[in-house]
Amino acid sequence: MNAPLSSDVSLPLPLPPLLALESIEKRFGGVRALKGVSFDLRAGEVHALVGENGAGKSTLMKVLSGAHRPDGGRILLEGREVNFGSPRQSQAVGIGIIYQETSLYPDLSVLENLFMGRQPVRWGRIDWTRMEREATALLERLELDLPLRSRLGDLGKARGQLVEIAKALLQDARILILDEPTAALSVKDADALLETVRGLKANGVGLIYISHRLEEVTLISDRVTVLRDGEAVGHTIGAEATQDWMIARMVGREVGSLYPRYLRPVGKPLLEVRGLSRSGLLGTGVLEDVSFTVHEGEIVGLAGLVGSGRTELARALFGIDPFDSGTVTLEGKPVRRDPRGAVEQGLALLPEDRGRQGLVLPFSIRQNLSLPSLNFGGWLRPSQEDALSKEFIEKLDIRPALPGLLASALSGGNQQKIVIGKWLATRPKLLILDEPTQGVDVGAKAEIHRTIDALVQEGLGILMISSELLEILGMADRILVMHRGRVAGELPRGSSQEDVMRLATLGRVPDELVGSSSPDSIPPGPNLPGSGEVNHVH
Amino acid sequence: MTSLSSISKARRRSLADLPWPDLVLIVALIVAFAVMSRLSPAFLTISNLLEVTRFSAEIGFLALGMTLVIITGGIDLSVGSTLGLCGIVLGLATTAGLNIVLACILTLAVGVLCGFFNGFVIARIGIPPLIVTLATLAVFRGLALGFSQAKSFGDYPQAFFALGQGYVGPFPVQLVLLIGVALAVGIFLSRHTYGRLIYALGNNAVAARFAGAPVQSALILVYSLSGFLAALAGIIYTSRLSSARADAGTGFELDAITAVVLGGTAIMGGSGGVIGTLLGLLLIGVIRNGLTLAFIPIEQQSIIIGAALLVAVLLNGFLKTLRSRRRV
Amino acid sequence: MFTDRSRERAILIFLVLLTGVLAVFAPSFFTAKNASDILVNITVVTIAAVGMTAVILTGQIDISIGAQLAACSTAVGLMAKAGVPLELAFLAGMGLGMAFGFINGVLVAYAKIPAIVVTLATLTILRAVMLTTTGGAWTVLPPSFRELGGGSVLGLPNPILYLTLILLAGNFILSHTRWGRSLYAVGSNPAAARLAGLSLERTLLSTFVFQGLMVGLATVAFTTRFTTIEPAAGQGFEFAVITAVVLGGTNVFGGSGTVLGTFLGALLVGVIATALTFLRISAYWVDAVQGSFILLAVGLDALRRQGRPLRLFRSRVKRIPGEVAA
Repeated sequence: MNAPLSSDVSLPLPLPPLLALESIEKRFGGVRALKGVSFDLRAGEVHALVGENGAGKSTLMKVLSGAHRPDGGRILLEGREVNFGSPRQSQAVGIGIIYQETSLYPDLSVLENLFMGRQPVRWGRIDWTRMEREATALLERLELDLPLRSRLGDLGKARGQLVEIAKALLQDARILILDEPTAALSVKDADALLETVRGLKANGVGLIYISHRLEEVTLISDRVTVLRDGEAVGHTIGAEATQDWMIARMVGREVGSLYPRYLRPVGKPLLEVRGLSRSGLLGTGVLEDVSFTVHEGEIVGLAGLVGSGRTELARALFGIDPFDSGTVTLEGKPVRRDPRGAVEQGLALLPEDRGRQGLVLPFSIRQNLSLPSLNFGGWLRPSQEDALSKEFIEKLDIRPALPGLLASALSGGNQQKIVIGKWLATRPKLLILDEPTQGVDVGAKAEIHRTIDALVQEGLGILMISSELLEILGMADRILVMHRGRVAGELPRGSSQEDVMRLATLGRVPDELVGSSSPDSIPPGPNLPGSGEVNHVH
Repeated sequence: MTSLSSISKARRRSLADLPWPDLVLIVALIVAFAVMSRLSPAFLTISNLLEVTRFSAEIGFLALGMTLVIITGGIDLSVGSTLGLCGIVLGLATTAGLNIVLACILTLAVGVLCGFFNGFVIARIGIPPLIVTLATLAVFRGLALGFSQAKSFGDYPQAFFALGQGYVGPFPVQLVLLIGVALAVGIFLSRHTYGRLIYALGNNAVAARFAGAPVQSALILVYSLSGFLAALAGIIYTSRLSSARADAGTGFELDAITAVVLGGTAIMGGSGGVIGTLLGLLLIGVIRNGLTLAFIPIEQQSIIIGAALLVAVLLNGFLKTLRSRRRV
Repeated sequence: MFTDRSRERAILIFLVLLTGVLAVFAPSFFTAKNASDILVNITVVTIAAVGMTAVILTGQIDISIGAQLAACSTAVGLMAKAGVPLELAFLAGMGLGMAFGFINGVLVAYAKIPAIVVTLATLTILRAVMLTTTGGAWTVLPPSFRELGGGSVLGLPNPILYLTLILLAGNFILSHTRWGRSLYAVGSNPAAARLAGLSLERTLLSTFVFQGLMVGLATVAFTTRFTTIEPAAGQGFEFAVITAVVLGGTNVFGGSGTVLGTFLGALLVGVIATALTFLRISAYWVDAVQGSFILLAVGLDALRRQGRPLRLFRSRVKRIPGEVAA
């Protein structure tokens, strides 16, 4: 018997489901994290699970994987009830989770990674030949091309994901849970992953797909379930699940404009970059001849695939990494090539990794807010620090508004506000934002966008890196698209996502648009799998 | 996600917020005093108590430098060897005819150089402090042995001995100096921007760098200071013993680290302070002296000190888990 | 498997250079006897270094092995003097070593105290216990020990045979058993290892016990070389062992390293020490030289991983101290 699903569309069920979660309840202390959630999965199907941060997606998956015991409801595997006491037990029946943080061993070979802990053994000795045989057979079946003998750490993150998937399948997984699998991947690698997912479908694997990238969800899923506040509030087949449909159910309200902008004419040039170049290890250019200008009151978006050099550019501008040639000037004066100097001159960088690069989590809100503004070499000034922290807690509506509270106690959105605040406290003239809303839920996202817009109203210049095309297209006045370390072209506000993707993937300047690099010097890019499809964006 | 209950928890002065490590330490001190005075009637005399502080003060200089190093998440195993090397430098310089004051200045400079070397390699080249200072422990000791060819140097002007054996009023010189240095270091840690940076380094060095803080300078400063204090300790130690030998200071790093950890500084860095270290020093000094007066040989004393180290770390770790569970 | 043989190559190149220097300044170095002597000399360190390789592979360290060696050797000697047959005494010595390793391992793996602190403490306590129980007296070994150490099979001195066997066994264990490979996993990504179902605690504990066993095996080589054991034996032993392991290419952060590399590292240390004597450089400089070598080796590694050539004094070369190079 299948439990009724809260659905907008009722579905005929010709096959018994591979997996069924019925009315799952989970409580932590007095909080009901899951309120009677039902979810099912068929073999050969991709069923997506979407929802804001804190909606209950990870909790549900933890229940499924055996990390948590449910307080109510049951789990059925092919109609038979199961109880997992531990993650190992769920693994044993064929449920595999692929995490965001790759759980692999960078110092070991791909082959060892696939079999660690379960190597075939003969007379006490590891049977390497048999290992290699089994691995090769699986990879052939999946049509994956992985170099078994290479050191895993030398491969990119994308291939790491593939190794993870192969590892799960080697353990006879019939159900794969993919948690934000494309979060750290370039568009090209994400496409390759989706292809792999389609291949897995064809092999009869059931996939639960969790992602914030709603465009992807529409592309790959057969069915979509939306979670909000621990409840399943929407359920439909893939074709009907548009982004608006999903967002409306995730947020439970109409989300006005996600990208509030009051456009105004820009001021004089602020940051001028000319011919910035940095060569990498093998003589190839990490950054090649990058030139552009950011004006006062302007948001310049920086788009491009992961690996195109956006973060490298940000780090070079801020002085974290050195560069080999070129000039960077702020208001006409050359910028010092170290973070300290950059800050003193009015530059600020909001880094990509909030927890590791943006905050000292065991420090208080006040200590974090004041850190870049400290007069290093001199004595601390408590009264000034207090005034500063009060100012920015108020201005950015950081909650809870307790200056002495440890930063680790705040939510992701509020932590991001602290990072923004600490840089605003240095009174920068130009702010470089690297993925400012990554891992932030929809509500806080809108707040941050409002803040960014308010900043340019005051005359700041902003260079914004984002992998979310809609965000860049919504916020930026101009969009620079990077490709393999060069600026492939510049697009005006109002461009389409296809325009951006074309430049990002091919590096070629379309004839009708103005670009800063000559078309002839850029070689054509590789062919994307499925690049002929429409609305093929991430 | 924060909730109302978590906010009220943060506001409430819960029992877990009391400075437990310090309280435990004070209790341990009282117990130690009681036990030691039982063991030997000579213990509680003032003159004895003051003499206790001489050797402890020398370790104390090392421990103060070590406190800073450990807060940044590092460790300095070479301080004992630096002490020995500096003693030899002092001996060689005075034997060569150099004025004693100049010789002392030279010695302090050598100490700073040793520490600077450590800090430079750690900060600029990026080798873990454990490995670097393990290597320099050998290098500095080797240099001391090589320069001295295992001879000792005892040729100093009479006035010099006042440093290690003299008094300021009723107090041994070492004690007065130690209090002064401890005050300076304590104020530095809590009131100076570099002090804040030192704590930041122990918690998240990457974020500190991204915030534009002078991370490398801070590290080099911390290790240089450790070397300077080791040199200071070496000078006073030589003065007290009236001679310099290459193997001076062997094993002192253990006592220094023990004092710091006993005093509540987390071995992984990010927290701790001068007061705790001083209390830890006092505890070790009391134990050692009490046991000596009870005619328990030095080797056995080390058993107790070593055990104390383990207990201290265990206790600290336990208290920390308790406290973090009570937090939001 | 992929193999990064760069460290082994570097050592061999260095040895060739050193040979060149010696050929010019001290040609008396090159005798078969000397080569054999060097190998015998490094036996004790190398055997213990196999155990230390395992420990460092998992990202830990153990500076108490000098004290462990002294304790095990003294115990073995005392037992032999009391009439216990040699074989049993050696076995007891191995058991004792494993017991020390167990104590260290429990404190590191279960009490979660950093290894440097634990082994610093156990080092002190063990030395102190030794001094107390022996009263500072040297233990005289019965002549049967020396006989064992002085013998040879087919012209190869016993110690060298012993060493070879242990190296082969060690290499097999670390490279071809599940347990051995789990050490690399734990050192490379402990979080992943835990997720995969590996018990970090049991792995670390067994590693320290393995190290203790190696010390016990080294005790056999140690006691068969001398006529007496002083309570302060093994001073600086841990340093020589760590030098051998680090020079041999084992990553100080854990996750990579080989027994072959460790052997070459120990060989390098042994050759340098002997070479210094032949070049008539005072023995007092040995420590300084060895320490410098560690710095050189690890420093070059760090710079190489950084991806930059040696631009030490370029003011804008930035590194985050303590951040693991990914």
